[in-house]
Amino acid sequence: MTLLSVRDLNIRFTTGDGDVHAVNNVSFDLSAGQKVALVGESGSGKSQIALSIMGLLAKNAIVSGQVMFNGNNLLAASNDELNQIRAQKIAMIFQDPMSALNPYMKVGRQLSEIVELHEGLSRRDARIRAIEVMEAVQIPDAKRRLDAYPHEFSGGMRQRIVIAMALICRPQIILADEPTTALDVTVQAQIMHLLDDIQRDMDTAVLLITHDLGVVAGFCEDVMVLYGGRMMEKSKVGALFKSPSHPYTRGLLRAVPNIHDQTGQLHAIPGSPPNQMNAPTACPFAPRCNDVIDTCWQTLPELTGEDTQRACIQPVEALS
Amino acid sequence: MTSAKTHLNSKEFAEQAAEEMITSRSFWADARVRFFKNRMAVVSVFMLLCLVLFAIFGHNFAKWSYEEIDWSILGKIKTEGAPSIANGHYFGLDELGRDMFARVVQGSRTSLLVGFVAGITSVIIGSIIGAMAGYYGGRFDQIVMGMYTIWLAVPYIIFFVVWQAFFGRSLAQLIMVIILVNWTAGLLIVRGQVMMMKNREFVDAARMLGLNDFAIIFRHIAPNVLWVVVIYSSMVVPEVIMMESLVSFLGVGIQEPNTSWGALISEGASTMTFGTLWQLAYPAAFFVIAQVSLYYIGDGLRDALDPKDRR
Amino acid sequence: MLNYSLRRLAFAIPTIFALVIFAFYLMRLAPGGPFTSEKPLPPAVMANVLERYGMDEPLYVQLFTYIKNILCCFDFGPSFSQKDRSVNQIIASGFPVTLTYGFWSAVFVLICGIPLGVIAALRHNSFWDYLMTGLAIFSQIFPNFVLAPIMVLLFTLSWGLLPGGGWNGGQWQYIVMPAIGLGTSYMAGVARLTRGSMLEVLNSPFIRTARAKGLPERTIIWRHALKPALLPTLTYMGPVFVYMITGSVFIDVFFSTGGIGQDFIDGAYSRDYSVLLGLAIIYCVLTLSINLVLDLLYAWIDPKVRDAL
Repeated sequence: MTLLSVRDLNIRFTTGDGDVHAVNNVSFDLSAGQKVALVGESGSGKSQIALSIMGLLAKNAIVSGQVMFNGNNLLAASNDELNQIRAQKIAMIFQDPMSALNPYMKVGRQLSEIVELHEGLSRRDARIRAIEVMEAVQIPDAKRRLDAYPHEFSGGMRQRIVIAMALICRPQIILADEPTTALDVTVQAQIMHLLDDIQRDMDTAVLLITHDLGVVAGFCEDVMVLYGGRMMEKSKVGALFKSPSHPYTRGLLRAVPNIHDQTGQLHAIPGSPPNQMNAPTACPFAPRCNDVIDTCWQTLPELTGEDTQRACIQPVEALS
Repeated sequence: MTSAKTHLNSKEFAEQAAEEMITSRSFWADARVRFFKNRMAVVSVFMLLCLVLFAIFGHNFAKWSYEEIDWSILGKIKTEGAPSIANGHYFGLDELGRDMFARVVQGSRTSLLVGFVAGITSVIIGSIIGAMAGYYGGRFDQIVMGMYTIWLAVPYIIFFVVWQAFFGRSLAQLIMVIILVNWTAGLLIVRGQVMMMKNREFVDAARMLGLNDFAIIFRHIAPNVLWVVVIYSSMVVPEVIMMESLVSFLGVGIQEPNTSWGALISEGASTMTFGTLWQLAYPAAFFVIAQVSLYYIGDGLRDALDPKDRR
Repeated sequence: MLNYSLRRLAFAIPTIFALVIFAFYLMRLAPGGPFTSEKPLPPAVMANVLERYGMDEPLYVQLFTYIKNILCCFDFGPSFSQKDRSVNQIIASGFPVTLTYGFWSAVFVLICGIPLGVIAALRHNSFWDYLMTGLAIFSQIFPNFVLAPIMVLLFTLSWGLLPGGGWNGGQWQYIVMPAIGLGTSYMAGVARLTRGSMLEVLNSPFIRTARAKGLPERTIIWRHALKPALLPTLTYMGPVFVYMITGSVFIDVFFSTGGIGQDFIDGAYSRDYSVLLGLAIIYCVLTLSINLVLDLLYAWIDPKVRDAL
């Protein structure tokens, strides 16, 4: 069952120097219990997609398209309407646990205020719920730590609190924006494990936003690759890792350091991310593509295909 | 890398690298471009220039000197002392029958001179002491901070009174007391900047290369806190003008027959009940124009220089 | 926390002593004194006078006596110029006046400055925002010694609404203009600062988190944004409270309130060093204690600072 369906999402930011086209014609669906990864390098617009679903884009953003949830277009919803959906139906996990928590408020209060508001619980009941959810994200000694301030927690523990905040209302969808980027590798694994367990228990749909393909491989079923604000490839995780069909995805996979690679070389994709000051008229990846042909500079490839969808005018066989 | 290795022993290389790393040469050029894009700031610079020219050359247009009493009008100031082109008193007369235009020129000269000389000197002295306190830390820092606390706790009027008791009253003495009172300006902020800066890698590098403290402070750290000093100066100059005006208003500043904006405003305010409003209006207008210009210049400088606001 | 307060006190006490010693020597060494007039007193009379004020003894003995009197009986000695009054009496008559309108001025600064700053930040680029910017510029170019005459011109001379000076036992009509004259520029400062920090806080990630929780805007501002936004204002208020007392020299003189600033200026004119010294010590103690209280308040509000103490 499709929970969330994003259609032709365009996000532009007006700046002093002109418009930045952050996201262009992005469409995808999210079903109940589905775990989808949204992959791309920084600046590819992946966080902006999540923020646009939550209605939290910066003030200078111009959005068009549709984000349908329960028959409502979230992009057209008022702030009050969105407040009925935020945290209750769709929750977000933010990237940097150091700054995502209010440093002047006890963590327990930051958790309990959500259920007090949305479920009308009393302060005491809300506190009990906060303890429960803190225990669910495996924060030891939750009862006592309820009255601690964020700076008294380690980075990993803070990220658990941020996750607890997203979970406390048992939302249908969680948008996890780089939930582990700011953390140590060992803690990363724990957090992803935790997220995986909780997701299974609650049958929540998760949109995982990341640039870390390792995290994607361990956690998700479907993956969407974003480049320059455009969808490059959409496929099952297994298929994508086994036979990436887009030159960009191939570059990305090659760039992951491989322990079996005896040459000891690091493969970077040459060039730098595209300038998004103008609406794209050609494949944005063309300047950095190994397999570029003349037509690539003139046509804007659409996403095509059945199981694996790709936006590349060349057939898979023609790629190097 | 190889070329860097061959140069690694030379001090010049370290210095060059340090300079290029933080104060790229285009920094001040960029700031200039940004400043001149700010229309209010440019207009303000123009206004301030006009004021300065007025203060320097204004007396050439005055028909009277600032000390001379126009006996023909004295006693009839309320009725005949108003501004008039005909009798040469463009801004009217003050309560003692002296030409307001000449006095405003003289007052502008005092106020601007005091403001710029005392203001900028104070900031420079404060910055140097602050830089040393931040760099050396320890006992020296404690003493400086102790002095700072005391200084802020003593009402500054006392300095004016006591200093003038020792050294008498003159423009030079006035400037000196104002510096004495304001040396704390810019101290804290530069101290903070230097404390932050001294742990940066390029300073470590310079130290490892055996540069002495003096060279490190002045060649490596100073260029990187200069923008703070410039912004601070632009804020302190109008404050000093105001301080001078206030102490002159209270009677412990500039001495008669010399005058300043504050002294003139004070005289004008004390006579406004008689309806001779021009005595208040002209000096107040000049004061206000100067303050507005300095405000926008300061604003423009801050926008142009402060990296926090840069996109 | 207690530890920290004690440490601060341990720092404040030597500071005050240093100030007393420094100021004492400075003032005694300054040429000319309260008793030098244009017609010199006969030597016998002079000696008599000096003896009466204990000024015939060596300076360090005088200093010692001075400090001893302050410590044991809170006695700042006799006034040099006002024959029948002690410094204590002068302070006791002027200080309540200054404190009264200083207090109302601080109230005015806070209850106008903070809401104005918050509203200007919330309605960025609206009428309120422009009003605030205008006010900030206005207060910079119209300092109290320009503003006060204008206010008197309008409210007293033109409209006859408020008395142009005096105190009259502290009736409210006599407090309004001194309090506003003293506070306007600080009010604008508070508003400007509050606006800036509020804008910064509203753009911070934890406010975005609060929005993602679906909290109504009102809750976000009151519960999440206000406290961090007001911290810089609190730091700013320390010196402001002090200026409210020291800066009032002008207000006291202009409005003839009979406050402590008038005594200060009188003391300065007549070189009444005992009054000046007494006032300087009071100011210093006040400054240090206000700063201490604000630092503790800051620590109480900011959990990070609290833990660091």
